[in-house]
Amino acid sequence: MKKIISLFVISLLLILAACGNESSDPAKKSSTTEKEETVTESKEVNLYTSRHYDVDDELYAKFEKETGIKVNVIKGEADELLERIKREGDATQADLLYTADVGRLYRAKEDGVLQAGSSELLDKQIPKKFQDNDQMWYGLTKRARVIIYNKDKVKPEELSTYEALTEDKWKGRVLIRSSENVYNQSLLASFIDINGEEKAKEWAAGIVNNLARNPEGGDRDQAKAIAAGIGDVAIMNTYYYGQMLNSEDPEEVKVAEGLGVYFPNQETTGTHVNISGAGIVKHSKNKENAIKLLEFLSAPEAQETFATANFEYPVNVDVEPSELLKSWGDFKEQDIPLSVLGDNNAKSIMIFNEVGWK
Amino acid sequence: MKRLMLNVNSWTISACFIIILLFLPNLTILKGVFVPSNENWDHLKNFVLQDYIQTSVLLVVFTAFFSIVIGLSLAWLIAQYQFPLRNFLKWALILPLAIPPFIGAYTYHGIVNYTGVIQKTLRNEFDIAVNPSFFDIMNIPGAIFIYTLFLYPYVYTITRIFLSNQSASLIESAKILGKGPWQIFFQIVIPISRVAIIGGSSLVVLEVLNDYGVVKYFGIQTFSTAIFQTWFGFGDIETSIKLSASLMGFVILILVFEKLLRGKKQFSFASTKVKPLPLIKLVGLKALFATSYVSVIFCFAFLIPVAQLVSWFILTFGKIPIDEFFLHIKNSVLVAGISATIIIFCALIVGNFSRIVKGKYVKLLPKVTVLGYSIPGAVIAVAVVTSFIALDRFLSPLYSAMGIDSKLVLSVSIVMLITAYIIRFFAIGYNAIESGYDKIGVDFSHASRMLGAGLIKTFVKVDLPMMKGAIISGFILVFIDIMKEIPLTLILRPFNFDTLATKAFQYASDERVMAASQASLFIITISAIAIFVFHYLLEKEPR
Amino acid sequence: MFIAIENVCFSYSNSKENAIDGFSMTIDKGEVISILGRSGSGKSSILRILAGLELPTKGTFKIADNILFNHNIFVHPEKRGIGLVFQDYALFPHMTVIENIKFGLFKLSKDEKKKRLKEVLELVELTGFENRYPYQLSGGQQQRVAIARALAPKPNLLLLDEPFSNLDAELQYKIRKDLRDILKKANITSIFVTHDENDAHALADRIVKIDKGRIVKIGRPCDMLGTPIKDGVLQ
Repeated sequence: MKKIISLFVISLLLILAACGNESSDPAKKSSTTEKEETVTESKEVNLYTSRHYDVDDELYAKFEKETGIKVNVIKGEADELLERIKREGDATQADLLYTADVGRLYRAKEDGVLQAGSSELLDKQIPKKFQDNDQMWYGLTKRARVIIYNKDKVKPEELSTYEALTEDKWKGRVLIRSSENVYNQSLLASFIDINGEEKAKEWAAGIVNNLARNPEGGDRDQAKAIAAGIGDVAIMNTYYYGQMLNSEDPEEVKVAEGLGVYFPNQETTGTHVNISGAGIVKHSKNKENAIKLLEFLSAPEAQETFATANFEYPVNVDVEPSELLKSWGDFKEQDIPLSVLGDNNAKSIMIFNEVGWK
Repeated sequence: MKRLMLNVNSWTISACFIIILLFLPNLTILKGVFVPSNENWDHLKNFVLQDYIQTSVLLVVFTAFFSIVIGLSLAWLIAQYQFPLRNFLKWALILPLAIPPFIGAYTYHGIVNYTGVIQKTLRNEFDIAVNPSFFDIMNIPGAIFIYTLFLYPYVYTITRIFLSNQSASLIESAKILGKGPWQIFFQIVIPISRVAIIGGSSLVVLEVLNDYGVVKYFGIQTFSTAIFQTWFGFGDIETSIKLSASLMGFVILILVFEKLLRGKKQFSFASTKVKPLPLIKLVGLKALFATSYVSVIFCFAFLIPVAQLVSWFILTFGKIPIDEFFLHIKNSVLVAGISATIIIFCALIVGNFSRIVKGKYVKLLPKVTVLGYSIPGAVIAVAVVTSFIALDRFLSPLYSAMGIDSKLVLSVSIVMLITAYIIRFFAIGYNAIESGYDKIGVDFSHASRMLGAGLIKTFVKVDLPMMKGAIISGFILVFIDIMKEIPLTLILRPFNFDTLATKAFQYASDERVMAASQASLFIITISAIAIFVFHYLLEKEPR
Repeated sequence: MFIAIENVCFSYSNSKENAIDGFSMTIDKGEVISILGRSGSGKSSILRILAGLELPTKGTFKIADNILFNHNIFVHPEKRGIGLVFQDYALFPHMTVIENIKFGLFKLSKDEKKKRLKEVLELVELTGFENRYPYQLSGGQQQRVAIARALAPKPNLLLLDEPFSNLDAELQYKIRKDLRDILKKANITSIFVTHDENDAHALADRIVKIDKGRIVKIGRPCDMLGTPIKDGVLQ
């Protein structure tokens, strides 16, 4: 029996490994070519990404068609993918780590799983501000975290800054999602850098004090809560607001149309922005191709696709935002190195916990 | 010496081998208890842990309670009475299991929120503005509602099979003693089905403990939140593993408690006299009441959310790329099918071992395999990645001998994902198989051995055919669970490998629940087919 | 002397007390032995030990000079050549009568199998019921299938666990007689366990009375009416 079982197990393992390899064939080939990297060019690039957008897949397909380099993808949650890269060590198949939040890229760099890589084209297409100091990661799109307000109840003149939302006048009127969400963590992290930890904590406590309800749901749910009359202003990402305006559900479009976008802190420190970006993995086997993909994604064509299909702001200054985004107007961004968002991430979570922001 | 001769045989060896294999990755987590606590741990302890634990306990206790109330009452009605629609509802009541709870949460929120069908209709058609907080389900009671609706089938399925196969003589004798239906229910049905109830509800409890999707979306902080906050927020995976290990410790306590609760009262009905419970036909008001009660639950747990998903599917049809869906279906069915087969195969071996072997403590051994089911999948995933990379490094001389140039072979293949599924869902399959073994007892296999058949022949000719029901039900439960599994699939899959569940998650996590409807409906349809096949096969079974 | 059982002791893993304490006896070929005792007296444990389903802590068991267990030999149940009729028969519910009986005949050729099947079916008078499933049979018929199944492989020893406990009283009387006829016709050495003195007296050549795991008395049915002999005298 034992023999039968072990035979069974072994054969199963082998069969599975065989078909597994078939499906991960590119991975295998890529490492085969590793040795001959200097001689022949590999035709692959392997991506670990936490971005889940269909438009990304379309861009990869286009890249493949233009360059003949196949893009292999594993989609997952950023931290889990980072952990996988760490544990795979020098044997990893990953070439790029692509995340929707700069804090994760910072952490990847801190953990020593990224390496520097650059090209003239990249420097030209991506402003220094959206690059890592050591050129280990590059920003590809940006999102602004803005104030959305009820057009009927709030006049834009009443709004000014994120900080102003902690004033008494907004008591019971502010909506924002749970502190578990990384966008909120990054927002607070930016305040820690700009205003100092004390002030940041005061701000968080002030928001908690003015909340219209316990934080729940996603960004879209905050917008809907305004429409439902639960609160009057919400802090949320432009990206989700754009999606609502273009929703498949006419009711959601109706809700979104009753709302206005306000870019806070224009007179002071600027509106909070976060980026989606990709870092080059230290033990990448296809670094050349990884850089090619970065160049492709930051080139005008791809940047336009991001802007129109996904309501994200391009990082490439040569590319205009989409009509919709432009209609909300230009805005001044926070002028801080983006890496502080990652640096202050843990601190901001602790502050959230301390002030009782659920 | 003689004891050894009776106990040590190929079964024991293979069973222990499987148990150890399943337990190893858990061990890498459990040893996390001994990691010294750091400032993150202290911070959690000072500010949030107490709240989180409180919430978790609330969720677990109330979900378990309502699941038992609903699951048991349904099981009893279906097992004992005949009423209109009963034959359909009998298997349809399992269907809610096919809906992943996080999809259920998104769907229900989609129904009741401001732009949802209820408020929209009231507002636009009748001009009624309702108090939105009345329809707010993103809170603890809402989460309990969601968990109960989509998890009660665990209690229902296990209890119903138990009641309809095993309770006839006890219930008949109670009737002869002049007990009314309510008395029978409280004095006979509940006590005798205790084992089945505990078995089913412990699965519910474990699901609630390891779930992260629903509570994250609802903004409810539970123990899982603490695990992920330390990992994702503080980047401190040691502490998050330490938290997971504590959770495992807690689950071990529950297991011990369950064993104590079961005590020596094992009900084994090892005779041909096991006969099905005869159905009592309900008429008039009683029939109406029974049909309505069961139908209402079916509607809430299945029909309503599916109807919503279908309407979203129609809204988004053509806007979501559909060309690759056949590939996703194939992937989903293939990995779920292979993993479920292996799990049932292993569960049969381990279950038989636990049945044959003598000694109270050895019998408990297979219970440790349930641990993989108790903690969030993402943590299991880390343990599995670690184990597989170690395995690959160990095997690398073999790889180079075979002419493979890569350092990672197994850990970039689908083997890793399937292994993780096996570790995680073994408990589900084992539960079904174990109750199957319990049901047939040991007399039949003893009889076979007395007739000169060895262990293996006995197993194949006698045990397996009699276990058909348990095998099929275990397989289906595992299959469905894997179909809707998320965190393991996301992290451990090989390149370019998408399943229906990862597709559904992809859209849902981006707050595009309408776009997620397509993949969700495929998951539900395939699982429903599996459930129907299961039902059909069981009905045809003689006896 | 065909069967020798010497000083068999047995205890359950969770208790220190011996459930069986120094059980010894010899049995001649073709003899029908009844082990008589109240429930909990250890009578069923003896049966299970002889069958190989429980491990004795001490003792020797031989059939026709083949050792089935002693201090360092333990023959697995399937190798012992002993038949056992379970208290509730344990007929395989997924097999027909004929499949149940055929189960133990895997060593025989096809023709031999057929012949043997016919023999035992005639012996237990079940010809014509071959293709029924166990649940389609009455209690008495089920018992006869169980006996036929146990007898088919021609065991050296047949064990019966409470053969009448599952039958109603009226049937019991008839079946007692039938059973004795079957056993005698088959000329098989057998041991059956019962709590009912009438059963024992009607069926057995010799009766072994046990209490609390010890033999109280051994003798022919006609000798059993006197006062119990004191412990140890018989050994």
